[in-house]
Amino acid sequence: MKGEQLGEFEELVLLTIAYLYERAYSVAVVEELSQRLERPLSLGAVHRTMQRLEEKGMVSSHLGEATAERGGRRKRLFTVTAAGEQALRDLRRIRHELWTGIPTAAWGGRL
Amino acid sequence: MNRKDSSPLDSQDKPGALPSWAERLLKRIMAPHLREELLGDLQEMFYQRRQQHGSFKARLFYLWEVLLLLHPRLWRREAAVTSPSYLSHLNHYPKPALTTMFQNTFLVAWRKLRRHKSYTLINVLSLSLGMASVILIFTLVKYHLSFDNFHANKDRIYRITTEFHEDKIRLNTGVPSPLGEAFRQDYPVAEKVARVAFLTKRVVTPSPQKRFEEDVAFAEPAFFDIVHLPLVLGSPMGRLQEPHTALITERLAKKYFGEQNAVGQTIRIDDSLVVAVAGVLQDLPRNTDFRSEIYVPFSHLKEHSPGLVEKDWWFSVNKQMQCFIRLKPGVSAAAVNDQVLAAISSSYYDEKMAKFFRFKLQPLADLHFNPKLGGYTEKKNLWAFAFIGFILIVTTCVNFVNLATAQALGRAKEIGIRKVLGSQPRTLFWQFIAETTLLTGFALLLAGTVAYLTLPLVNRLFELELALNPGQDVSLLVFLAVLMLVVIFLAGSYPGLILARFQPIAALKGKLSQKQIGGFSLRKGLVITQFAISQLLIMGTLTIAHQMRYARRADLGFDKEAIVLLPVPDVNKAKSNALGVQFSRVAGVEKVTFCYEAPTSEYSPTTSIQFDARPEAEKFSIILKHGDHQYVPTFGLKIVAGRNLYPADTTREYLLNETAVKALGLTSNQQVLGKQASINGRSGTVVGVVKDFHNKSFHAAIDPLCITTLSENYAMYGIKVNLSSLATSLPQLQKAWDLTFPSAIFTYRFLDEDIARAYQLDTMIQWLIQAFAGIAIFIGCLGLYGLVSFMAVQKTKEIGVRKVLGASLGNILWLFYREFFRLLLLAFIVAAPLAWWLMNDWLNNFVYRIELGSSIFILAIVLTGGIALLTVGYQSLKAALTNPVQSLRSE
Repeated sequence: MKGEQLGEFEELVLLTIAYLYERAYSVAVVEELSQRLERPLSLGAVHRTMQRLEEKGMVSSHLGEATAERGGRRKRLFTVTAAGEQALRDLRRIRHELWTGIPTAAWGGRL
Repeated sequence: MNRKDSSPLDSQDKPGALPSWAERLLKRIMAPHLREELLGDLQEMFYQRRQQHGSFKARLFYLWEVLLLLHPRLWRREAAVTSPSYLSHLNHYPKPALTTMFQNTFLVAWRKLRRHKSYTLINVLSLSLGMASVILIFTLVKYHLSFDNFHANKDRIYRITTEFHEDKIRLNTGVPSPLGEAFRQDYPVAEKVARVAFLTKRVVTPSPQKRFEEDVAFAEPAFFDIVHLPLVLGSPMGRLQEPHTALITERLAKKYFGEQNAVGQTIRIDDSLVVAVAGVLQDLPRNTDFRSEIYVPFSHLKEHSPGLVEKDWWFSVNKQMQCFIRLKPGVSAAAVNDQVLAAISSSYYDEKMAKFFRFKLQPLADLHFNPKLGGYTEKKNLWAFAFIGFILIVTTCVNFVNLATAQALGRAKEIGIRKVLGSQPRTLFWQFIAETTLLTGFALLLAGTVAYLTLPLVNRLFELELALNPGQDVSLLVFLAVLMLVVIFLAGSYPGLILARFQPIAALKGKLSQKQIGGFSLRKGLVITQFAISQLLIMGTLTIAHQMRYARRADLGFDKEAIVLLPVPDVNKAKSNALGVQFSRVAGVEKVTFCYEAPTSEYSPTTSIQFDARPEAEKFSIILKHGDHQYVPTFGLKIVAGRNLYPADTTREYLLNETAVKALGLTSNQQVLGKQASINGRSGTVVGVVKDFHNKSFHAAIDPLCITTLSENYAMYGIKVNLSSLATSLPQLQKAWDLTFPSAIFTYRFLDEDIARAYQLDTMIQWLIQAFAGIAIFIGCLGLYGLVSFMAVQKTKEIGVRKVLGASLGNILWLFYREFFRLLLLAFIVAAPLAWWLMNDWLNNFVYRIELGSSIFILAIVLTGGIALLTVGYQSLKAALTNPVQSLRSE
């Protein structure tokens, strides 16, 4: 986890991109995430985050096919890069370690 | 809704289509590399939501998304591939001292601005608003001043115009048709003389399937030696020398013949004149008043419009028949006016008529600026406009100074320390200028954006195609640079000088008084000026709005609702009469009249009248309205004495209006009935008197007027329709039209729209003043805000003491308000008489006008008072609510 930090929302978006695999573009990410988070997300916020992720080298993108309902405009498809994958795995590991490290007593004996 | 932008999907469901203006907004501001995907995303989400939630919600969502998208990321350019930087290489070496100092100055300035965010925001907002208006004004004024300045030898180009000297002087852009020839033959003062007839809205047929309406000019070859309208195709020699040739512009060539070579193609004009394209002219620049795009030889005019030249005599002047000349070098226009043109009058007319017909040269540069001769507007309007821009800039600078000096108190300690540490006044001065420069820089960027975004609006308002292109337009760049420098020094130097002059010890002790900050009364004066300007503009807006409403609602003396005007292309009597009968059979048509023009019109033929047995013609001239016996009922004119015209066209009968009766010196309408009159050289009987109606806009008085039949002059149908069946009547009118005139274009207009057009310039002025009033008020509020913050800082201790001694919230607020109401009243005393004078001046342009009442003035002061109260409220409330413990503790 050296170098660029991932914000919480960035992490969610990055994960969604990975989850959607070959179908990952902004509209799909907005839909997927707003369903899971159960709150409406704005396209602008997601779009900006994806741009930032790309600047950080976590994802790479290319222009995909055009469809009629997009007014003949192409969509930008995103894939997670090796660096992005590494960052996600690191975060998951840290979270996992922390979770497992929580003493039973901390939450009143329930875990 | 812009159809081009919509996809095939939304044609099925029109009301749910995309709000395209939002998309256009995004297109304007977003970085190009984001455009395709983002717009696609938006559209896709829109269609999905429309299926789920319906089109209304989808549109709301869409707008919401667009709003949230407005973020700096949106206009960030694509990151360039970075190469090893020249600058980073430099970093390894010690920088020259001067650069460091310079950088430091700006760094400090930057930090200052960031610390005082509200101060920075107010300044940037007010500066950018003022600058944006000025940029727009500059573009507009420059555009109008550039009209027809691209012709070679433009200083020697003139148009000959006619002045009719009767009880008052009337001007006409045209000349009698033989005048050009006489000028050329008899007086060798001009290098070139060219007659041109500009005919509007002729039907042009380039191929059997295509019909267009164009303005066609019949020009003598020399015309192209006078004006600069270069050829791109065809031989430069012999333009329009040969009969049956034509020159058209590139734009028309493309419109008519597509990619084919236009040269050699034939076109028909008004179905009678067949010409072959001999050359293609470069497209007309936007800044020219010569708008004809088809030129044909002058010699054809005789067959095409015999009315213009057939009477090859000196007594008819038509505004379309114009004469342009280029004088020889060294010949002065005044000499030509006094000697040559006067000599022409006296040698071609008898003594009496020579006094009546005078000719004058009109310089080319005057063409655009002489409304009396068909020009766009007077130059003084442009200068007034520029002056408003100047005022706006000055007020923004005033705000800046106000705020900066208010701040100076807060910064006294900083400056004291700097001085003690050895800063020179000069350094401090430049420090302040650096701050101003940064602020102005931001403001200029913002102003540019605002101007760019509002330009389409301005273009629509003025029906222009202005463009802002600092990359190509050197004068705009220079203007921006000068504007920036002026603002920096106007706004920055005064506070800079004051700050630099602080006594360090007093400043450090916190004992600066208002005297050392300087000129509080000066700044009060400036606030009064701002208030006065706002009030002036509000009063102006109100007055103009009142007058316009008056003009719209007033009884014109005739019906203007539900009347369709239909110009007829040729005057074949049998055809036209048949058409009239067909029109009257259409369901929903109540009355039809065949006439020359509607009751109100700026261009009506005038002529002389000789009444009864009087030996001489009357001194005044009378307006002629030609129309058949249905003219009076169709337009709802009222007959107050006698009767309407009889249907027969053979006996000559006249209807006079009440003004004409008065002008004849008669006291009762009955006195004219049954009398003979010779009007336009034809004698007939006066059979009736019509009630006066407004035959021109409210700018002009009602003229003496005569209604009579003259079928060869009829050119228009006036059709009174039932509004409820308009939708079905119009297509049927067109059907009848197409059967009678298959090659002519069916163009109709509504009389009330025609009348509204007469007030177009007034409407535009009203709109502009409203906009400026809004901006001035906003800027003024910012200034007030600045002054209040200054006062609040100053009066902190006073307020503290008063509160401790038991003053109520109301007492403290009154402390502030009293001050501002005084300023407001002083401003009113300045503004009200000025507004009264200016508005009376404007109203004097109208013969029929409202009287200025006190309500306008009261409303203006109440409005500004209310706005000032709101602006002052926040700061003063804050000051009044501060715990006195805090404000008094510092002692």
